[in-house]
Parts: sequence; C-alpha cells; structure tokens
Amino acid sequence: MSTQSIIDTESKTKSSKVVSTEKEVRKKRQRKKSTAIFLFLLPALLIYAVFILYPIFSTFNYSFYQWNGLQADKTFVGLDNFKTLLSDPTFWLALKNNLYLVGVSVFVQIPLGLVMALVVLSKIRGKRLLNVLYFLPFLMSAVAIGLLWIFMYDPVKGPINQLLNVVGLESVHWLASSDMAIIAVLIVIVWQFAPMYMILFKASMVGIAEELYEAAEIDGANGRQKFFHVTFPALMPTIVSSSILAVVGSLKTFDMFYVMLGGGSGSATEILGTYMYRQSFINFNMGYGSTIASVMFILALISVIIIQYTNSVRKKRGILE
Amino acid sequence: MKKISLFIVLAMLSALILSACSGSKETSKDEASGGSNSGSGDQIELDFWHFDTGARKDIYGAAIKRFEEKNPNVKVNVVQVPNDDYKQRVIIAMSGGEAPDVFASWGGGWLEEFVKSDKVMDLTEQDIEFDKFIEVALNNSKFDDKIYGLPLGISLYTFFYNKEIFEQNGLEVPKTYSELLSHIEVLKKNDIYPLALANQPKWPGAFYLMYLADRIGGEEVFQNAHRRTGGGFDDEVYVEAGKYIQELVELDAFNPGFNGIPYDSGQARQMMYSDQAAMMLQTGAFVNHVREEFPEFEEKLGVFQFPAVEGGKGNPSNISAGVSPTWSVKKDTKHPELAVALLNELTSVETAQDYVNRSGNVVAIKGVEVEDEYVKTFTEWVNEANSIQFPYDQTLPPELGELHKDTTFELFGLGMTPEEAAEAMEKKAKEILK
Repeated sequence: MSTQSIIDTESKTKSSKVVSTEKEVRKKRQRKKSTAIFLFLLPALLIYAVFILYPIFSTFNYSFYQWNGLQADKTFVGLDNFKTLLSDPTFWLALKNNLYLVGVSVFVQIPLGLVMALVVLSKIRGKRLLNVLYFLPFLMSAVAIGLLWIFMYDPVKGPINQLLNVVGLESVHWLASSDMAIIAVLIVIVWQFAPMYMILFKASMVGIAEELYEAAEIDGANGRQKFFHVTFPALMPTIVSSSILAVVGSLKTFDMFYVMLGGGSGSATEILGTYMYRQSFINFNMGYGSTIASVMFILALISVIIIQYTNSVRKKRGILE
Repeated sequence: MKKISLFIVLAMLSALILSACSGSKETSKDEASGGSNSGSGDQIELDFWHFDTGARKDIYGAAIKRFEEKNPNVKVNVVQVPNDDYKQRVIIAMSGGEAPDVFASWGGGWLEEFVKSDKVMDLTEQDIEFDKFIEVALNNSKFDDKIYGLPLGISLYTFFYNKEIFEQNGLEVPKTYSELLSHIEVLKKNDIYPLALANQPKWPGAFYLMYLADRIGGEEVFQNAHRRTGGGFDDEVYVEAGKYIQELVELDAFNPGFNGIPYDSGQARQMMYSDQAAMMLQTGAFVNHVREEFPEFEEKLGVFQFPAVEGGKGNPSNISAGVSPTWSVKKDTKHPELAVALLNELTSVETAQDYVNRSGNVVAIKGVEVEDEYVKTFTEWVNEANSIQFPYDQTLPPELGELHKDTTFELFGLGMTPEEAAEAMEKKAKEILK
C-alpha cells in the first residue's frame, strides 16, 4: 500500500514535471509571441504616446496655469480657469451652439445618410450617378467647401438667393445675421458629412444576409416591415458607432465655422472650437484656451461613455428578451 | 466592435487636442531641418518669417538676395505664412523657443505682448540709423522708450471711389459727412450700392468707427481712453460714432449682407469693379488688388479722405493707417549682429524704393522718390496729417482689440446699441489697461 502510494506520488510528480515543462514551453512561446506583437505595435504606440497622449496631458496641465503662451514662467492658478469658464457667458453660448450641432448631426445627418444609402441600394434608375453625386462632397477639403458655400450664400449674386428671388421669395442674408449664420453653416456641415454615414450604412446593409429578407417575405412582410424588422435592427451597431462619430465630431468641430464665419462672426456664432482658438492664439490666453480644450475633451469622453453604456444595456436586454 | 469604436473615439479626441497643440511639434521639426543655429563657423543660417504675398514678397526676396551677397557665409531661410496662421505660428514658435531670428509684425499691441514676455530684442542701442524712419511709424513699435521694431510700409485707410459713377450722377468728392449722406441718397435712387463693405473679418467696419470717432472728437479721445488719462471707451464720442454707423446701416448705405462677406474672397471688390458699388473704405492695398485683379478699373479709380463731420472737433487731415510690416529680432538669436544687418537691409533705402515703386503703399522711410500716383497722394496726406491713428485692434492689447472689432461688428449688425458697445469696451478696458 505504502509502496504503491510512493510510486503513485512519484509518478504524479513525474507527470506534473512533464506538464510543468510543457506549460513553460507554451509560456515561453507565448512570451515570444507577445514580445513580437509588442515589437510590432511599438512604433504605433510611440507615435500614439508622443502625438496623442502627451498633448492631451500637457493640455490638461496648461489648463491649470495663467499663461499667455509665450512667457517662460507660467503662473499656477489651480482650478481658477475652470471656475472662470463656468461663469463665462461666451462658453455657455458656445456650448449651446455645439449642442445644436450635435442634435443636427445625430438627428439630421445620420437619418439623411441612411436615406441616401437606401436610395443608392434600391432598384431605381441612375443610382450609380446618384452614388457618385452623393459621395462628392465628402471628397472635398473643408476649406474648399467653405469657400464654395460662401459664394453660394452671397447675398447679392449667390445662386441660393437668386433662386429664392426667382421663386418670389425675399433674399436672405445667410452669413450676416447670427441666427441665420448658424443654420447656414449647419446646412453645409450636413451636406459635407451625410455621405460619410451613407457609406457606413451602405457597407453594413450589403452585409445583411439575404436569407433574412427571404424569411421575412415568406412570413408576408411588406417593404416597410422588412425595413423596420430586418434592416433597422441589423444596422443598430452602425447607428451606434455613427452616433459616436457624430457626437464627438460635432463637439470638436472647428474648420467649417472658422472658414465660413472667420473664427466666430461675433460671439453669437462662437463654438467651443473657435472659442478655444480665439482665446489661445488671438487673445493670448493659452492657459484658458487649454481649459476650453480640456472641457471639450471631457464632454466628448462623457458622451461616448453614455452612448456605450446605453448600448451595452440595450444589448443585454436584447439577449434577455 | 465596442473596442474598435472606443479606439476610434479616442483617436478622434486626440486629434482634436493635437490640432491645438501639434503646431509646436511641426515647427520644431521645420526648425530642426532648417538647422537655424548650426553655427559651425563657415555657414550661418538665419530664419526669417513674414506674411506678405505678391509684389511685396518679391521685394523682400530681392532684399535678402542683396543681404546674402554682402554676407556670403549666411543663408536666410524665408518662411511666408498667411496672416492669421502667421500669428498662431509665431506664438507657438516663440513659446517653444524655436522662433525665427527675424520676423515681421504689425507693431502695436501684438508686438508688445511679445516684448512683455521678454522675447524681442531691444534695438535701441544697435547699429541702426533711426533718423531715416518716419517718427510716428517708429513709435508704433516703441515701448517704454525702447525700440523693438523697424517699420517699412504704411498702409493708409481711405475712401476709394468710382469716378465714372460720380460723374454720371453729378457728384463731387464729399468734403463733409452730410455731403456723403446726400450722395448716398442719390446713389441709392440710381440703384447703386453707395458703400461696398465686406465686414466678415470685422476690421473693414472698424475703420468707420475709428474715423468717425476721430472726426467727431479728435485724436485725443482714443489716446485718453488708451492711456487711461481721463477718458474712456464709453466716451460720448464713441456712442455718437456708433449712432452714425447704425444710421448708415439703416439708410441701406452698404451692400446687403455685408457682415457675412469675407474680404479676401473678393465679392465686395467685385461690386466696385463691376460698377455696382460706388465707394469703399479700404486700406491702400486696394490699389494693389485692382492692379492684380482688374487693371481696367484703375482709370475709374479715385481716392478721397474721410470727410469732416460738421461740428466735430477732429482735424479732417487726420489719417488712419496701419504700419505693416514692422521687422523685429528675437531676443535669444545666436547672431544678433547679422540679424540687425538683415533688418537694416530690409529697411534700406534701396528696399524702400523698391517697395514704394511696386507695393502701392507709402513707405515709413525717408529719402525715397515716389512715382506712383496713388502713393504720391498718400504720401502728401501723411506729410500734411495733423495726426496718424493706428488701428485700434493693432494698438490695443489683443484681447481688447478683439473686443473692439466684435462690438463694432455688432453695431453694424444692429445687434448692440452704441451705448452697450461703448460700455462693454470700457468694462474690458478697465480690466486690461491699468
């Protein structure tokens, strides 16, 4: 009995030794693999750290200082910049304008992109031409688009006003009054970015299995039902990621407002991006500008977390149902 | 999916921050490849930044060639950046310690900001012949009795008008403001926009406020408000000037939608060229634009000074003008003598002569022969002027200058009353000017 047990234990230890060496080999291999992976990632990581992480942290760092962007010695003011920001009417105005933009991006751009994708994938004539036409705006650079639309909106000779006049309507001073200016720029931004969502939706619509539609057809679903019960649910992930792109994109936008309104035509059309630029580079308040940038970052981050969270809740519920 | 989208988001966010901060990296790279201060004895490199285009750019190029011929071991790296980008890039370069050795500016409050941060070389004791400069222009880059910049050009702000339209409507050059107003009525009846204005960049409209305040109250009003010597930006004169502006707007004296039209894209100039508008208050650069864009218009082109306001205290010979460019040297340049020598070449009589011949601008340097008809007129005005007013936005500290343009823009857009605009200015002035 005892000898038996000794042998047993011996064999056990033997086998365990074998196992452990096997494990070590596997581990070694894995380690080799992961070092290889790490080495391949390293250049990208370095670039990411130097050009993305470092600036983010230094921006946060600057936001605690009163600094004109030039002086060698910055004055540490703690959270003063953030306090000033909270009681700064221009900041709230800019934020409000950004929220407009978020609303328009999510509730106009994305649905429009969806409709465009549906049109392009439908069986109508000339869809190839439409495909190209729809996509063109997205290929142009922001500055070119801005200048193009400045001429479109020209109060005297602009095609838009001339068209209005032909129809018998009064000319609109598109970019001159601050209320209209926001709407005018929003139209351009929708025009510019809707094609991007079209492409996203097109790609994921092509990926929806044909069998689903066939099954729905057999069940007697009509076109609308097919859209709402097959296409739409299948597009949900794309809609979520599109919304993230739209929300973050509209919170951080700068170029179109800068090009078309000259960096905030009066403070009424200021957005966070232009206000940050103006404070940092025109008013020589680099510290305060960094505070605005930091707040933009935080806002974008929060909204992404919210979207992601609600999405995961939705998914869980989907499984439970 | 989740991870990927999160990654995209992170990347996008970072791109935003990057857009705010990457500039310094870019420039530092530029600089590194430019090797500004390689200083290894034989070959010296100087960095020189400016913002001018066209003929002026060529003029500076010629000056640099002369400089390089005189100093064969020196190479000048010229970087030309357009206006607004220029301001931003200089700020970033300066804060990163990678500033150009010699750089252009507009003097005034913008340059003073750099001087206060101890980034600009004091030129007072350098080997420079200060007597050759027109004093008012030199004073624009003089702070605490020290000179930090050398002026080259003076750009006058004045009315340009279409002589043909004036003739056809039996109009003479207006000497008084009420004559101007009656001209506006006549022109409107004939379906011509009396005044062309492209006010999106805000400075074109600011010229009106500046001139009106000067004509109504005299040059002391601004000086007292600026130096805080018993006056303020809420002075009755500023309120009055605001009222005059809004009167013009309500008269429909300007082309429609002026607050949304950028100057650079040229729609307002087009209105002048195509006989749709009769007058335009602009910088002397307008002459340049005409010659480049529509030379046929030059024979119709006339100039007159901002008319006198009846009962106003201002001397009607007073002129508003900007000094541009003003050359400065960065404080920590490794080759101060050479940088100053380059400054001297950029303001030499030869350069000035070239400038006056080709730029359509008055020059801030004496002893130059003027042939250009417009420059001749402008030079006469400058010589006869009782005082020269530099634009507020370049004279005041940047934040206040910016507010001045914003409030004036709002006056034009009827979004603010003259009283509100004046109060807002004075409130900020109290914070900033102490």
